[in-house]
Amino acid sequence: MEDQLVVAAAAMPLPPVPPEQPFANSPQVFEHAFVFDGRASEYFRIWIVNLALSILSLGIFSAWAKVRTQRYFYGSTRLAGVPFEYTAKPLPILKGRIIAVVLFSAYILAGQVSLALQVGLALLIAILTPWLIVRGAAFRARYSSWRGLNFRFIPDYGEAYIRFLILGIPLILTLGLLYPWIKGKQKAFIVENHRYGGSWFKLLLSAGQFYPPYLIAWGVLMAWMFVFSMLMFGMIMASGALRSGEAPPTWIALAMPMFMYLGYFVVLAFLAAALANLVYRHIDIDGRRFRSSLQGRKLLWIYASNTLAILLSIGLLIPWAMVRLAQYRADCLSLLAADDFNHMIAERSIGIDATAAEVDGLFDIDIGL
Amino acid sequence: MNAFRASYFDGVTSRQHDVEVERVNASTIRVSGDGIERIEAVGSLRISPRLARITRSIEFSDGARILAADHELLDDWFPPEDRLQRVVDRLERHAHAVAASIVVCLVMGIATFAWGVPWIADRIATHVPAGVEAKLGDEVRGQLDRFFGFTNSTVENSQQARFSKRFSNLTSGLAGNEHYRLAFRDAPGVGPNALAIPGGTIVVTDQLIDLLDDDREFDAVVAHEIGHQQHRHALRQTLRSSFVLVIAAMFTGDVSSASAIVIGIPTFLLQSHYSRGFEEEADRFAFATLGAHATSPAWFAAAMRKLDEVHDGGKSREDGIAYLSSHPSTPSRIAAAEAAGEEFIANHPDLIRETPGYDACESDGICPDDDDEPCEDDDCIDADEAVENVDS
Repeated sequence: MEDQLVVAAAAMPLPPVPPEQPFANSPQVFEHAFVFDGRASEYFRIWIVNLALSILSLGIFSAWAKVRTQRYFYGSTRLAGVPFEYTAKPLPILKGRIIAVVLFSAYILAGQVSLALQVGLALLIAILTPWLIVRGAAFRARYSSWRGLNFRFIPDYGEAYIRFLILGIPLILTLGLLYPWIKGKQKAFIVENHRYGGSWFKLLLSAGQFYPPYLIAWGVLMAWMFVFSMLMFGMIMASGALRSGEAPPTWIALAMPMFMYLGYFVVLAFLAAALANLVYRHIDIDGRRFRSSLQGRKLLWIYASNTLAILLSIGLLIPWAMVRLAQYRADCLSLLAADDFNHMIAERSIGIDATAAEVDGLFDIDIGL
Repeated sequence: MNAFRASYFDGVTSRQHDVEVERVNASTIRVSGDGIERIEAVGSLRISPRLARITRSIEFSDGARILAADHELLDDWFPPEDRLQRVVDRLERHAHAVAASIVVCLVMGIATFAWGVPWIADRIATHVPAGVEAKLGDEVRGQLDRFFGFTNSTVENSQQARFSKRFSNLTSGLAGNEHYRLAFRDAPGVGPNALAIPGGTIVVTDQLIDLLDDDREFDAVVAHEIGHQQHRHALRQTLRSSFVLVIAAMFTGDVSSASAIVIGIPTFLLQSHYSRGFEEEADRFAFATLGAHATSPAWFAAAMRKLDEVHDGGKSREDGIAYLSSHPSTPSRIAAAEAAGEEFIANHPDLIRETPGYDACESDGICPDDDDEPCEDDDCIDADEAVENVDS
């Protein structure tokens, strides 16, 4: 079914192409695979040395560690033979981290002083969130480069506030029914404000098309809860607890949330794969399209085995887990294009400071594609 | 090496030029081929720091760049931009530095969990307002009712009043005792147990009241829970767990987006480690309190034995809310209580008859049966008469 989707995506009529682009004359489309050639053993050395230095420097070195990590993953990913580059400098990142830590400490300390103050700060952070998302995306794009051209993210704050804050009101009023539609709006915002050189990203997807994956995920989760509740009920009946009028045994009260989490974990892996495929398959960069073939089953296996490996190795296998995930993501992604990428042009760009990217990272706001 | 092949990008278009980079002299390079012909002073170029095998990029002042496979000589040709990263790169390639880093990370990681987390959590605990703690306690009590089936007690009022009196006797004179309250709850699913709830409430299950035969056993169990309250164990435990949660989330969050279960397991393991220290602290408090109220700590051992027998027939287990009875170290805690009991008797020999299991007949020769057969001749001295005889 996935292959059909990709074929369908590739066969979709290409949008009008500016005349200066010569590949418009040649209809043949080539598939350029993303190639990731990072190695766990190699990244382990980088990771452990940088982690140790970050600890010994009380966190100051972590900005350098971040740059080295990003550079390793960008530099190990190639498209059409040319690696990506992460060009941010450590000092702005350090500055951003200090601001992030101060904000976070203020939030924690505010809780000690008064609840009202903490709620106020939380509100402030909520109001700042769209701004942070924009600034974070802009920073990352500005310092990502390929073939000597930078990516860019257009900071449209007005739209960001509508899609990441104001749409929360109808979301609450419709009791969450609008969630997939709003997610779609947000993804479209992130994708469509990106540029590579002079090329604009487009998302050929209406927000309504985000409903099927979410509805399936909700349905499966509901079914899981139903089956599980029946099972539990059966066990309680079997143990005779209800007949004798006693409360259910303690282990049932503990098993309940554990099983719920398990269902959530499984559904989340499948949903992540479906959403990534949906978005990537509908991105259009001047007629160039992506092919994304992530499988929920494999993603789940990677998440689960990574988690287990990290726990059993008291964290030492984190680099292996990260490399493995990056490898799978790259393996499942390719770019369909009729050209050799030699004729894209640069757009004038401006520097954007790192604060937002760092504050974002600390509060763990998911803005990934 | 005096020249190398590379890719050149002019920074204006995405066009890739295959070029040769040649070192003209120590301060000049020449880039040529594929329509490109540039001669540049190396001082105006910036090379990206070396990192594993990844492609190096050499940036021109006008935004053009050369991408070249990594080579050791590159750092001799081009002045290093970042000396710090050069040192770091050497460390990353050095086996000893990697080994030392592993040691540093493991030691710091263990130290963080063993001392760092408890230290920070305890500092914060001292600043948590009583109101917040009381709210937390209400939450916990609600959960006990909902998830563990706690309901209203069926213990008779007169009995409740008797135990409450003993409770206030034990807590009198303690700091913050105005917040302490004893609550009776019926909990057939949990069984005999007592819990120290944040905010000062101590919950005693009806099943515990049924199990204990002697009021001094009740004192022992409750004194242990008062120990938890005095040291604010419930709150400190909650804070420690949340710190572990935050740290675990920081590390696993990078790797898998669904980290809910992931965090659960280490939290659970560490929790039992932390709570073990708290149990011992509460035990010591109980021994001291019992001693101060002229009761032998051996009563604690007696109560523990009974609890242990009920919970899985003496086999210890973890069941999440068991604060008192089912901990891995039950035998050693009983032994500690026995030892404290012996010490207590050594200091208060007059109270020996007040210890659990004290057999007056075997130790003192005061046997109930003897009273039925009064002495008939002078060879035998009645226990009751013995004192009189000495007097005369």
